[in-house]
Amino acid sequence: MRIYVTGYGVISSIGENVEETLLALKSEKTGIKQGRKPYTERFKVGEISWTNQELIERFGLTQNASRTALLGMIAAKEAFGEHELSSEVRTGLISGTSVGGMDVSEIAYKDYLKDESDDLNVYKNHSSGTTSEQIAQELGIRGYVNTISTACSSAANSIMLGARMLLSGQLDRVVVGGTDGLSQFTIAGFRSLMIFDEEWCRPFDETRKGINLGEGAAFLVLETEETMRKTGKKPLAVLSGWANASDAYHQTASSPEGYGATLAMKSALKVARLNPADIDYINAHGTATPNNDLSESHGIKTVFGSSVPPFSSTKSYTGHTLAASGGIEAVFAILALNKGILLPNLNFGQAIEETGLIPVKNYSEGHEIKHILSNSFGFGGNNSSIILSAV
Amino acid sequence: MSDLKENLKAQIIEQLNLEDLTPADIQDDAPLFGDQGLGLDSIDALEFIVLLDSNYGIKISDPNEGKEIFQSVNTLADYISKHQ
Amino acid sequence: MYFIQHIESITHQNSFQKENIWDELKPLTAENQLISPDYKNYIPVAALRRLSTILRMGITASKACQEKVPNEFDSISVGTALGCLTDTEKFLVTINTVSGDVLSPTAFIQSTHNTISGQISLDLKNHAYNMTHTQNALSFEVALKDGLLCIDEGKKSVLVGAADEAIPFLERLRGSLILTHLPFTSGATFAVLSGEKGNSIAFVQACEVYFSTKSQETLVTLINQFLDANNCSSGDLDLILEARSDFRFLAKNHISFTDYTGFYQSASAFALHMANDWLIGNADDKRILIVNNLESNKLGLTLINRNEVEA
Repeated sequence: MRIYVTGYGVISSIGENVEETLLALKSEKTGIKQGRKPYTERFKVGEISWTNQELIERFGLTQNASRTALLGMIAAKEAFGEHELSSEVRTGLISGTSVGGMDVSEIAYKDYLKDESDDLNVYKNHSSGTTSEQIAQELGIRGYVNTISTACSSAANSIMLGARMLLSGQLDRVVVGGTDGLSQFTIAGFRSLMIFDEEWCRPFDETRKGINLGEGAAFLVLETEETMRKTGKKPLAVLSGWANASDAYHQTASSPEGYGATLAMKSALKVARLNPADIDYINAHGTATPNNDLSESHGIKTVFGSSVPPFSSTKSYTGHTLAASGGIEAVFAILALNKGILLPNLNFGQAIEETGLIPVKNYSEGHEIKHILSNSFGFGGNNSSIILSAV
Repeated sequence: MSDLKENLKAQIIEQLNLEDLTPADIQDDAPLFGDQGLGLDSIDALEFIVLLDSNYGIKISDPNEGKEIFQSVNTLADYISKHQ
Repeated sequence: MYFIQHIESITHQNSFQKENIWDELKPLTAENQLISPDYKNYIPVAALRRLSTILRMGITASKACQEKVPNEFDSISVGTALGCLTDTEKFLVTINTVSGDVLSPTAFIQSTHNTISGQISLDLKNHAYNMTHTQNALSFEVALKDGLLCIDEGKKSVLVGAADEAIPFLERLRGSLILTHLPFTSGATFAVLSGEKGNSIAFVQACEVYFSTKSQETLVTLINQFLDANNCSSGDLDLILEARSDFRFLAKNHISFTDYTGFYQSASAFALHMANDWLIGNADDKRILIVNNLESNKLGLTLINRNEVEA
């Protein structure tokens, strides 16, 4: 049984829907800029310019919620688009997020620390699970609603779980993806790890220093063939492979040889019944930290040997959007499949000495792309790979 | 210098939650990282940077610089006395 | 069928490494503290020094499970409603009180929900599928469902569990956002499930979750539909373990499991332990339904049967 993608939606610093996103990718225009919030102004970040209130008005949202939930609603609404709810089609929602409603609860908590004048009502938006419930409510989805929280691999894992829920017959259709709004908590967290690059991030470059953070959300609608006969939807892509594996090496660092990454990529290929040579493009995790990119490069070389397919990290466009990244990059992959695009790894200058791998440097169209591997690796060694294929 | 080292040991125990140790358990020249010494890791290296900043006002912006400085209590004390 | 090979809980009850937890279970009072085993027996001291309560509970309960089953876990699925609250709050305090540029990273690193499952894999050197689910009061059920799915897909030794920890801050939300008279408590329950019978005495027949349930009548309908789909009816139930006490009328025995767990949102994981051990101690009983209606807008249902019962 094949799993089809029949809808997609995305919002990030490079665009607030799929169309704008494609235009930005095409023009090689990064969304990363000097931050504009008090806690981002010292960093280069992939910020979405609207405030929470502006997001609600601009996108006609019915709930006031955390930024994470609002961004999720926007992308999920675009993905769900013309799809209709019906009792005939059991529809679920799985969203990934790392910090949930932290962007609002941290403001209340600050008031609490000051003089206990915090608005307790704000904390109802805090829990990660609530962000998904709010997104589900915005779409009218009931029944199975779930949240995956595996840090930066959350959206990829949501996509994977959605496919498995469809294959097992527990759902007929599922909205999957991830969302993360920027928060002071996250900015300070990555600052404490000392892995920010104060310049534009340079994934897979010898001189890379670290990440730029970003925010955003992306969702896909997955259906089985049988469901498509009922809904009459046209497939955009096939979700053909997925896998998750644990690196079990260190709390924050990836193993030098990329053991978990290798396991995830190999297992995803196995699920898709594909050979490494079938992959036409890899959308790498590529956070631009010294550790990740080296480890991932080794993993890619282990899986693909001497014939590494074209690859790039599009985090140079969006910044690292954490739990949303696997969803945003899945949307990029679908665009690449359908338009024959190779997506560039912006800001690349010089290959990592140890591996010599050179990513795609420029945007180009007209390639025959049948299968794309997309990597998402999270804190705690949570490694996931998904494969999207042309219909 | 010996006062500095004793203070450092107490600060290390506090910053890294090494509750089971006393300053006397940490030798001046024993390696702090790796299996031979206290078995500290890269997260502890970041905690050392915090320790130097908050207790001695010494800034280290590149975690890689730490490798040399954080080898032992001796190397730490040397670095502090030169940079304070 | 998903056989319960082993189950461990660290809670405010004397529940860790017991033949039958019912031997010592009693309704909780606010005075009952978390009963912690000596974590040093399970976690290397070098690692232990950093770990908050939720991490200590999660790793220790998992490790105690691994020691009791022959095979390495080939799937790890963990649920947590609020995750690592101690470290989350600690880092919130840090970012609001430390003025300098250099911040202590440890609390941040350990604030993410998947630190629990990540640390379990790290501690066990386990490279298998590793998932963290968080869905408020249904966090355990969605993790359990993933574990059951893994068994359907052919996995042999599946670890599922849930953990949550209380922090004093929660008291401020009592009466406004959290409506409960129960004490805020911490707890972790981990179970090994497998498609093979092994030494188990009971199995999970099915687990379902429902979001956005409206009324009491809807709940009764959902429960009856669930039982019907699993070829039984409320008359076949020997015990209902319920978060509240709304469904006393449905079965001959009824226990509000929250009387024994206190309030943490993944407490229904402990109800699974209560169900398994109830069947150890009550030879005539066969079927137990866990009704997780802790939060009014959602429902989790888990059906546990004695092995002799035809599923």
